Formats: sequence, C-alpha cells, structure tokens
Amino acid sequence: MNQLLSVNGLCKSYSEQMVVRSVSFDIRESSTVGIVGESGSGKTTLVKSILRAIKPDAGSVRYHSRAGWKNLDQLSSKDLLPLRREIQMIFQDPFASLNPRMTVQAILEEPLNIHKMGNSTWRKQRVAEMLQRVQLDASSAGRFPHAFSGGQRQRIGIARALILEPRLVVCDESVSALDVSVQAQILDLLNDLQKDLGLTYLFVAHDLSVVREFCDEVLVMYKGRLVEQGATKQVFDKPQHDYTRLLLSAIPSLNPDEPLQPLDRKLLDLD
Amino acid sequence: MSDCLLSINDLSVVFKTEFGFVQALDQVSFNVPRESVTALVGESGSGKSVTSNSIMRLLPSNAKCVGGITMYPANADPIPISSLKPKDARLRRVRGELVSMVFQDPMTALSPVHRIGDQVAEAILCHRKVNNKTAWNEAATMLTRVGIPDVQQKMRMYPFEFSGGMRQRAIIAMALVCNPQLLICDEPTTALDVTVQAEILVLIKSLQKSLKNSVLFITHDLGVVAQVADRVVIMYNGQIVEEGSVRKILGTPEHPYTRHLLTSFPGAQRKQQSGSRPGNLKKAAATGADTELIWTSADHRVRRYIQ
Repeated sequence: MNQLLSVNGLCKSYSEQMVVRSVSFDIRESSTVGIVGESGSGKTTLVKSILRAIKPDAGSVRYHSRAGWKNLDQLSSKDLLPLRREIQMIFQDPFASLNPRMTVQAILEEPLNIHKMGNSTWRKQRVAEMLQRVQLDASSAGRFPHAFSGGQRQRIGIARALILEPRLVVCDESVSALDVSVQAQILDLLNDLQKDLGLTYLFVAHDLSVVREFCDEVLVMYKGRLVEQGATKQVFDKPQHDYTRLLLSAIPSLNPDEPLQPLDRKLLDLD
Repeated sequence: MSDCLLSINDLSVVFKTEFGFVQALDQVSFNVPRESVTALVGESGSGKSVTSNSIMRLLPSNAKCVGGITMYPANADPIPISSLKPKDARLRRVRGELVSMVFQDPMTALSPVHRIGDQVAEAILCHRKVNNKTAWNEAATMLTRVGIPDVQQKMRMYPFEFSGGMRQRAIIAMALVCNPQLLICDEPTTALDVTVQAEILVLIKSLQKSLKNSVLFITHDLGVVAQVADRVVIMYNGQIVEEGSVRKILGTPEHPYTRHLLTSFPGAQRKQQSGSRPGNLKKAAATGADTELIWTSADHRVRRYIQ
C-alpha cells in the first residue's frame, strides 16, 4: 500500500509551552491509525496541525494528494483549498458541530458550494446519495439538526465529511460522546464506508478498547511526545513504553474475576 | 436488621412537559443490599438518573412520582423517603447524611469561589454539632484517606487549582465525610481519563470495603460494572429488563437487550459475532417491553420478551 501522509519532526507550542514535541509518523493509504493519550497529551493539537487549522512551528507534513506529494505546512491557504477536499474531519460533539439554523440539506450542500461543485440538481442528488450511504431517511434533508438523536447527528456529520469524497478522514473523538450501542453502530458504519470508499482514518480517541477494535496501527502520545507506535496487536500485546503499560493496565476488564490493578504512575519511568 | 438498605417499590415517574406527558420510569422495583455495590446500567434516557434523583427527592416540580422508596438505616427506624413532606427533618437527614451523591462532572459539583477544605468541612457542619476546628480536622482526615497529598496546603486551594482526578477525589471525600450508609455515584468517571478512571474506581471500591457502606453506581460502561459491582440492574426505556449478580449478567445474560449491550462493548466478543447488528436486537428488546418481569431464580429476574 502507498503512503498517504508523512509527518516529520512536527513541533507546536502555545506561549512557551511545548504541546507537540517533534512528532514523526507515516500513514499508509486505506489504513486506520489511532492516536491515544490522556487529556493534555497533544492529540488534538497534532491533528489540527496536520489539517493546518493551526500552523505548526517546525517540522513537515507531507501529503500524497491526487496531484502528487504536497507539503501541507508550506502551502498558503489559497493553495490548500483544493487539498481540503481530500482531507476532512468528523468532530466529537454531534450537538456543537452542526449549525442549528441550517437544514440538513444546507449543511450537506455547503462543502459542495464552497468548492463550487456541480449545479443545484446534481448537488441535491449527491446529498440524497450521501444520506442513503449513512443510513438516514431521504426525508431528513428538509429537517433541522434538533430533530435528530445524537447518533443520527453523528451520521449527518459523517455525511458532511464524506460528501467531497475525501481520502483522509480525521475523527477527533468521534464516538466518545455516544452511548455504547450507538457507538457500535457508528463504528460499523465507518468500517463499511472504509471498505466501500477506500478511506484512510486518523482516529483520535481516549477509549483504548475502541482503538483496539477499530485501528490497524496505534500512536501513543504522552506530554506531546510520541512514546510508542506500531501495529495495534503489537502495542496491546507487547507494550514497550511504561506509559503504554500504564494505559493498558487501566482498561477495566469485562470479567469480574480480573480485578483492575492500575500501575502506579509514581513508580514508572515516564519521561 | 434486614439485609436490605434501600427498597424501591413500583416507582413510576411521569414528567409533564409542553409536548405532553413523558413516562420516565415505569414500575421500577429493586433493593439495594447492605455493604455491597449495585450497578444501575442503561443508555441515556433509560431512567437511571431519574431513579437516583428520586431517592434524593431531587426531581423537578413538573415530575409526578408514584410508588414507594423506603430506607432502612442501621440502628434506626425505617424512613419512607417517597412520602416525606418537603419540610420534614428526616428528609434533611437523608440528603447528605444517610445518602450522598458523587456526580459526573467534578467542576460543576464544586463551588468555584470556596476553598476545597471549607467545602468538605461544610458537609460536616451541616449535619453535626461540632465546631469549625473539629470539622476542618475531620475533613483533612477524609481528604488524606481519598489520596490527596499535602492535605493542609491543598485544603486552602480552590477547585480550579485541582486536576480533574483530584477534584473527583475531593467530591468523594465530601460525600463520605458524614459516613453515609448509601453512596450514589452517577457516572463518576465518565469525564475522566482512563488512567484516572482506574484510580477512582479502585478508590471507590476500597473505601466501600473499609467503610462498609452501600454504593449505587450508575454507569453505561460494562467494563466499569464488572470491576465495581456485586449486583447489576439493567434498565431500558424506564423499565428494568434484567437484574442479577454481576457474574450472571455479564456471563450468561438472558434478555436480548443485555446481550445487545454486551455485544456493543468494544472488544473481542463483537469480532466473533460480527454480523449481529445491534439495531435489530434493540428492536427485539423494544417489542418485549410490555411484558412482565419474572424471577427465574432467587436472585435473578428478567423481563419476558418475544423472540
């Protein structure tokens, strides 16, 4: 499989505070890469720098677009616009991420309008296709976000991200606000969409059991550093870094006879 | 003295809203045994929090509540919580002294403008006739017990100076400082990181063992249930669908909704049964919702369902 994204020595600090410290990793096409770490470990800052929602201080983000390799960190916002079609994001909070005053039709059409794609008939048709893809009723198009449940809103968010046919989709805690049963349905949907459309996911999460099930590779972040990366099975079965061990020891088992014995943070060599 | 600390009998709660009546609880009955942890499990909207708020009599004024909630405190007369008048002195005893709560969001549960030490000591001063100094010292002892280091210095700090895990520890201290016989934990770890969650769960469990109180633990995370609970009550749509020991419920669940919850749990089991779409099972549970709850053995009951 081809490489899709290559991050090299990425750094970002907010007023003297280093939030991301020299992070490097690669993502292969059509794979799912999970980023885990506690709050404040720099996960969100890292993905925001990749998306160029913020400008990184140092390091490079190279992306293999349909038109060849591009340096995302160097491009001006005008040159970035065509690439934004290829990299999309699904947000955490299905309530905050949809404009309450826009209909679903308008929400889903907006990305097409921004990129000046098609005429209005085509756009309508595309919205209908997308709603079907995320298993929402065609009549949803005329309704406002408040008429939907959390899981349905998340489906709208997914449809909005996918309507531009992106190749890389960044999911920032996209299932953590959902109930477990709804979460399972959304994960199934993301899996099906990946199979059909050949998507690549960068999946930020703090729930390790979700990452274990959903991701091919895992990046573990701690205090802005990448402390461990590898295939999911490898990382979960044979963790190398103490922080990964601490994270794994904190997963509550479904078996009542396997009591939780979290490692003591103070006894570990974390830095 | 019976083994039962709290008994809920045919509790139904209806909310009057501008869109009509909403039935939040439908004839919910279960017991909370002494010195054990009972978990109340269900998705959002299943009625978990309404149940716990009914125990504290914290329902809003548009709620109509029918049914009986009786508490059997050790060495005291039973208290019919559901029929107490709002001004009854016993209600004040129930809230905070006999029953106390730990909430989901540690920042909203603490006052931002009072020092941690004063907030914990206030809980003692509200319920017992002691002077400020004794209350402060007892607060210090309890804060040490929940694992807060340099306690005298930390007690003079404000909530914003604490991390999320430390705040939740302070709230647990505040809840336990009057030695309540029932501690209600309403999703106490949902807002916390997984490593902090593990520490708090271990803390709640070990305090329950040493203080010998009962805990009613509300959650939707079955991993958490497996780690802390002795008994499990599964709720769906305002009704109990299954109740039993933690081993029975997680090992050999009988109701399709319970099985559906278990298969939704991210992990090994779902991989093996890929193809079982949770959505279909949910409908199976919903169609069984009108049928009665029957005891299958002395400590397990399940709502009958249509297969």
